[in-house]
Order: sequence, then structure tokens, then C-alpha cells
Amino acid sequence: MDAKLVNPFVDAFTSVMPQMGFQEPKRTKLYVREKNAVSRGVSVIVGFTKQIRGNVVYNMSVDTAKFIASTMMMGMPVNDFDTMAQSAISEMSNMLTANAATNLTGMGFEVDISTPSLTIGENFQVKISDTQYLTVEMDLGGQVVELDIAVDQQ
Amino acid sequence: MEKVKVMVVDDSKVSRAMIKGHLAKTNFEVCAEAKNAAEAVALYEENRPGIITMDMNLPDADGIECSRRIHAIDPDVKIVMISAMKDASLVATGREAGISAFLQKPISTNDLIDTMMVLCQNKVGKIAVLRESYAKAFVRALQQGIFSMIGVHSEVSLELDDRRFLDVSGIAVIIGLTGFPMGRAIVYMDVDTMNKFSAIMLNKDDPAGLEEDEASDTVEEAANIMVGRGVSNINDVFKDKEMRITPPGTIYGTNIRIASPKLTTFRITAETRIGKIYLNVGFAEGE
Repeated sequence: MDAKLVNPFVDAFTSVMPQMGFQEPKRTKLYVREKNAVSRGVSVIVGFTKQIRGNVVYNMSVDTAKFIASTMMMGMPVNDFDTMAQSAISEMSNMLTANAATNLTGMGFEVDISTPSLTIGENFQVKISDTQYLTVEMDLGGQVVELDIAVDQQ
Repeated sequence: MEKVKVMVVDDSKVSRAMIKGHLAKTNFEVCAEAKNAAEAVALYEENRPGIITMDMNLPDADGIECSRRIHAIDPDVKIVMISAMKDASLVATGREAGISAFLQKPISTNDLIDTMMVLCQNKVGKIAVLRESYAKAFVRALQQGIFSMIGVHSEVSLELDDRRFLDVSGIAVIIGLTGFPMGRAIVYMDVDTMNKFSAIMLNKDDPAGLEEDEASDTVEEAANIMVGRGVSNINDVFKDKEMRITPPGTIYGTNIRIASPKLTTFRITAETRIGKIYLNVGFAEGE
């Protein structure tokens, strides 16, 4: 995939998250992956089509997901990753992806995004590409959110 | 849910055949055809269709008078006027006679179905519309896909899936649906079924002969084909609301739960001799 397509996602993350009450996120790692991603516990998959095709996964631990859900809900305690917390993570994924899609549109690409699918489990594999793709790790107030980005320009 | 019964009122045999043609492959079923107003009233009482398509020019009375008579029998009846001319005064008097919608000839399949779906939504509910017009397209795609790819017959069932989670141990291929309605389809099965499916598809005698990732790649491709076919079935009917699919994202492992908050989901189960193959399709609400 083309590395220039990563920035719209990183930019979306760094601009959207502070609006929801998080500290400025930092990009800590960026690397190329060939193999399947392994879920950290909670993985949200969102698909892209039209001029940009592929998938993006927001991959995080259950604890990180609870931390994010709690912050999004104005600090409400989140003890279990329950329905409300799941909705919050889904909603976050939606916002991030829609924002990234807007950034891609700004680059002249027509894109359509699917609804997010939230998957929960331990050590399951996620395959989003037959070829290399890019993984970005973002630091969000000491928590790690991994973005697995496998999108290509048609 | 049963099909929505439709009565077609038109004095022209050609027009009646055309409307019938527009409604083929949908959940609307023409149960009666009337060629004049008197026949329309009699057939209405006999069949009680949910929707009526009404021509303006009938030999014994006009479409407005005919609608008035039927409306007097059942004030909840939904009538769509299909006429060669459509102007403000026709719409005004038509509304008074109980006509809910007006279409001008020649009508397109999309316009007719969209109009009827909207009229029906209150009556049969959004879930029924999603089930009949969208989920069922995937039922056919799953059954035909399994048969055409591995030559295996299946017993297929469709049900509304109101579980909060989809529990998967094995493989799940997630394919996004964009356009209208938005959503996602997930094809999933256990490891044993995946291996058998792939062995047959790749002409191998024994699933043990499959190479690493071969089985999952095969199921991923098969899922892509089946979901693509389901979307084509929908696009064949609703030609202006193009649905598209995103590339598949595939997960495998044990005890995985997939949640789809805010989606209306349907579970399609295909029981085959090699195991159960599921296709869960969910559509965004409020669309």
C-alpha cells in the first residue's frame, strides 16, 4: 500500500480524540506488516470501498477500550466492557473513520465506509490484506491504540 | 412474514403485465388484477390486498372514483395511482379519495418499489422490509453459492438475530456493505467445516492435504463471492441505490465475539453434510 494513505488516518486520530476529552495523542511506532494482525482484545474492523479499497482495524486491549469508553462518557466508571462501552468504542471508530474518509476526499479520492464490526476475544488473528500493510501505534494518555491500515488506491 | 399482497387495477392487459413484471423478485405479490372499477371493488373485498395500484382511466369509472369506493370499505388501504398524466389538481382530488401516492407512466421499477416500500413500512414494519427485500437476497446467494462452489445441497433458514453477540470459534469473514442500506455481512463456520469446504473446493481428497492458510483463504474467497452475489441480487431489483461491498476482513480463533451495535441483523443458516455455514447480515437502522 501507499504510505501517503496512512496520514489521513493518523491525522483523524490526532484531531478527533482531543475533541472527546483525550490528551494529544502521539504516534509512537510505524511499521510494515506482512502477517496477520493479532487482536489485542478488542478489534474494530471498518471497510472502505470506491476509489480507496481495504480495511482498517482499531486494535486495543480491553483495558484500553474501557479507558476510552470511560473518558468518552465524561469519566463515568466503566468496570465491564459492557454494551454501553461497546457502543462508545464503535462510535469512536465511526468518527475516526468518517474523519479519515473526509481527509481522503480532500486528497481527491471518492470513498465509502462500512459500519464498524467490533470483535472481542483473546489472541485471535485478523487478516485484512494479502500483501504488506502498515501498522501505526498511537499513545493515548499512556494507553496504546494500534491502527492496522490496509487500504489501496484503485 | 407473508408477502405483501398487491391488487393491480388497469384496463390494459399490457400495463398489468408490466406492473407484475416490476414486482417480480420482490416481496410484493400480485394477488388480483382488475380491469374495471366494479371488478376492483369486488376483488378488493375478496382478497384484501395491502396495496393497490390504480390506473386513472377505467371503462366504468375513473381511478379516483374507484379509489373512493375502496377507501370507503377500508380507510387504511394504500393506493398508488399510476397514470399517464399527473398534475396538481389530480393529486389534490386523488388525496381526498384516499390515494397515498402518485406515479406517472412510464414507471420505473425503482420508483414503484420504493413507493410501495414506504407505504408498507407502517403496515409491515421496517424489519419486515429489510427481511423480505434485503436479507432474502442473501439467503439465495448463500444456498446457490454453496451449491455452485462445492456442489453441496443445503437446508437454509432465515431468522431475525437479536443476540447481542455473534459467537465464533473458527473463521469469520467480515464484508462491509456500503450504499443503501449500509451494513455488513459476516460468513462464519467452525474449523472442521472450513477445512472440508476448502478441500472440496480445491479438489483435494483429504483436508489434511491443505497448506497453511489455504483453507482460510478459500473460505474468504467463497464468502466474498456469496456476499457479492447477494448484493447483486439486491442491485438487480433496486437499480438506483447501488450497494457495494468492501474487501473482506477475516478473523480466526476461538471464542471470538462480534458485536454490531445499532444494526438490525439476520442470521441465515445453511445446514450441509459438511457442517453449518452461517451468513449474518446486518443493516444500519434509521436509514
